[in-house]
Amino acid sequence: MAKDDIQNQIRRLRFDHGEMTQQQLADKAGVTRQTIIAIEAGKYAPSLPLAFRIAAAFSVPLEDVFQYHANGQPPKADGKTGDPKLNRPASAHKRGT
Amino acid sequence: MNSQTRDACLGLLLPVPLLLIPGGVAVFIAYDKGISFAPLLMFAGTVTWGGLFWLAPFMSGKIGKPKKKVSFDERDLLIHKRAVMAAYVVLWLYFVAACMIPWCIVGPHGSVSVNIMPLALLGGLIVFTLAQGLATLVQYGRGGNDGQG
Repeated sequence: MAKDDIQNQIRRLRFDHGEMTQQQLADKAGVTRQTIIAIEAGKYAPSLPLAFRIAAAFSVPLEDVFQYHANGQPPKADGKTGDPKLNRPASAHKRGT
Repeated sequence: MNSQTRDACLGLLLPVPLLLIPGGVAVFIAYDKGISFAPLLMFAGTVTWGGLFWLAPFMSGKIGKPKKKVSFDERDLLIHKRAVMAAYVVLWLYFVAACMIPWCIVGPHGSVSVNIMPLALLGGLIVFTLAQGLATLVQYGRGGNDGQG
């Protein structure tokens, strides 16, 4: 089974936003500080709504906060993941190929 | 330590008074008075005793001031669901063992006292509480390490 990895930039973004504390971020996202700690440490993958709320707290797009790396591979320079299925053009998805 | 971890610790400690206090009363009645329904009293006492314990957080929530901070979120809910699921698995294994062990001991043509039935229910309650508390603490221990914000 492939090992998927979701990395995040929460720590860096917190310090970029005036050294925002975990508690302040938790209050903005509507979760507990323990959840922010777990997400920041990569021990918990948040739900999609929570991920959007965290991104909104920093006023940045979702992909600036969370990055998905298939099979533990690092992202390529063009922003594509290591999973070829996820890098297909949208037209290919529609055709089901 | 958040409220869920505190509740889990309580869940681990709860079975001790649950077992000892009504159990002690039941054993006293059984041996001193010779009443045969002592296990039933033990079970009733346990449910009453446990019910009082579970009322405490509810009462504190009603009486205490409303908290502004979020104390329960999606991760806590996920951990709670997993803990309950783990507790049900353990409970199922417990009841399988509770059914099979007497059969193994007394054999296919043996007989056991019906007093075992309320005791088995009591044991199931304790096993469930223990397993849920332990599973909750294990999950918080793995994913909820405290850090400095």
